[in-house]
Amino acid sequence: MKLQTKLTLFNTISKLVIVTLFVLLLPGIIESINKNYTDSRLIKQRDKLLDIVHKKGISNYIENGESYGSYLPLKEEYISLDEAEPGLHLDTIKDEKRIIEQDTIDYRILSHTFIAGKKNYLLEIGKSSDTIGETSGPLQSIAFLLLLGMVLLTILADQAYSNYILRPLRIIIRTKLLGKKFPSFTAYKEVKTSTVDFQHLDISIHKMVETIEGAFQKEREFISNASHELMTPISILQSKIENLFEQDDIADDTKLRLLEMQKILNRLKSITKTLLLISQIENHQFLKEDTVTAGSLLQDVYEEISIRLQDKNINLELGVSDDVELINVNKFLLFNLLFNLINNAIKYNRENGKITVTAKWASGQYAISIADTGIGIAEEELPFIFNRFKKLKKSLSQDSFGLGLPIVRSIADFHQIEIQVSSVQGEGSTFTLLLPPGLINATVK
Amino acid sequence: MNVLIIEDEKALAHELELFLTKHNYICEISYDGASASEKIAVNLYDFILLDLGLPDYDGLDLLKEARGTNPDAACIILTARAEVSDRIKGLDLGADDYLPKPFSLLELQSRMQAIIRRKFGVPQNIIDLDGFMVNLTDRTISYQEAQVSAITKKEFDLLAYLLLHKNRTLTRAQLGEHIWGSVINDDYDSNFIDAHIKNIRKKLNALAPADWLETVRGLGYRIKTNA
Repeated sequence: MKLQTKLTLFNTISKLVIVTLFVLLLPGIIESINKNYTDSRLIKQRDKLLDIVHKKGISNYIENGESYGSYLPLKEEYISLDEAEPGLHLDTIKDEKRIIEQDTIDYRILSHTFIAGKKNYLLEIGKSSDTIGETSGPLQSIAFLLLLGMVLLTILADQAYSNYILRPLRIIIRTKLLGKKFPSFTAYKEVKTSTVDFQHLDISIHKMVETIEGAFQKEREFISNASHELMTPISILQSKIENLFEQDDIADDTKLRLLEMQKILNRLKSITKTLLLISQIENHQFLKEDTVTAGSLLQDVYEEISIRLQDKNINLELGVSDDVELINVNKFLLFNLLFNLINNAIKYNRENGKITVTAKWASGQYAISIADTGIGIAEEELPFIFNRFKKLKKSLSQDSFGLGLPIVRSIADFHQIEIQVSSVQGEGSTFTLLLPPGLINATVK
Repeated sequence: MNVLIIEDEKALAHELELFLTKHNYICEISYDGASASEKIAVNLYDFILLDLGLPDYDGLDLLKEARGTNPDAACIILTARAEVSDRIKGLDLGADDYLPKPFSLLELQSRMQAIIRRKFGVPQNIIDLDGFMVNLTDRTISYQEAQVSAITKKEFDLLAYLLLHKNRTLTRAQLGEHIWGSVINDDYDSNFIDAHIKNIRKKLNALAPADWLETVRGLGYRIKTNA
């Protein structure tokens, strides 16, 4: 999940939680405010009435022991004054029911006893509960709507701001991390931001890429220089051996030893040339301008390699039709890629074995598979087969120095070809090359 | 044939001189660009073997000079810096061939002979080997009007190389380098040469015994002929 999505989600959820909590609590709050307000009004009314009684005497309300009562037409409020038992003492505010003209109504009732003219009186002032709570409903919905609007507004504002503030991060991710093969080094382009953290991130990534790229470059240069430097001494040795070999006064057994030297020198030469080739590929010194069909390329490999097939009596089945044209490739390199894969399929095959080369379309990619009936590769060794000078346990007896698959990998990377390997020990291995659509002539498809 | 060897590695220059002198070339050596430049200006050569990596001179500049003063000389670039772009530049500037170090002296000789054939035409393009007629132009072999069938490109390349260096023993390594030189792979044994020779013999012997193709025990192969 993206950082911005996370932030927005968190903002929205936290605000919604707060709003819901508030809306849930609102009725209780309103009710208690109402109650307090009602109670204080009731107390005020009581004080006012007591004041009147005090000034004008109880006779203002009660004469001849008749009780006094009064209520509003809709009975939302009432007041009653009556003689009470001497000794009764009340001063409460309670929710109670009263029956007024056959209607039972819930009231908030203040009951108060007082003594006037040696008599005990009970005063009741009531306010109907319905009228107390009648504003809380609309209040609640207004509050809810208002809050909702505010929440939406802040979410939008948050979203816009986080979008703005995270923009540099998105740019860093898009231009410096994604869609590029790491570490691919291009000139540093500063990402404009006033956020120090992002500036720091940007610079750090840049410095890291620069360091890694520098190390890669140094390695490539080293291999390239080292192999170039080795070429001249090898050349001198080779010439000396060849001249010696042709000299008439050299005995045959000395010649045999010269031959051994020549073989070893050839080995040194192969290793050096291969390393140089890999460094040249990695330094992009080859052009990708050739057009060739997969079928004819495989046919070329077959012609080159048939002597090795014959040597082990291996049957090579070429099931690749000639109608798929590869474009923007380097023919020399692709030839070497296929040669090395098929050569390995021969080398690690059994006598009278089989190699099957097939091609098919798989989800927009052209896949060429080379399957052999050889010794296979142990699962724990699979991750390392493309490493330079890595010799697999089973292949130690073979005449190779462990650069065949590294060349294959370099050439494949150079063409953005993906390699998949599957293998069952004792049954064989399958190397599949996935060619990206850019290498295929679309009109032939 | 006059050859100018421009090579700053004295040991290599010496071996080149030794080899070419033995094969009847007349050699001069320059160890640096300045003396080479002088020699090119004064003398006429048939071949200029040019190492591009000279300490005091850009080899490609020497090539330009040579084109001016020695227009008939064939230039072969010898270099350890086998950059693809160098090769193209060299050939663009009129080099006749390009041989990356390390190379086999036999390979150098065959390239030189190929240039001679190209420049002067070859009177004898069909070579008679005890009745086997090897046609280097059509790349065919026949015996008494009958074609040797199904000889492959590699097999003919091998034969032609042996024929070019006739009466000399070529080792498997030398033959392998010639016919597989452009393939980069991680074998270093060239035992498949034996398989190729076996196939060639089978095809030749179907028509007549080809005793001129000799195995030199333990060392390699040789075509023995007076032709």
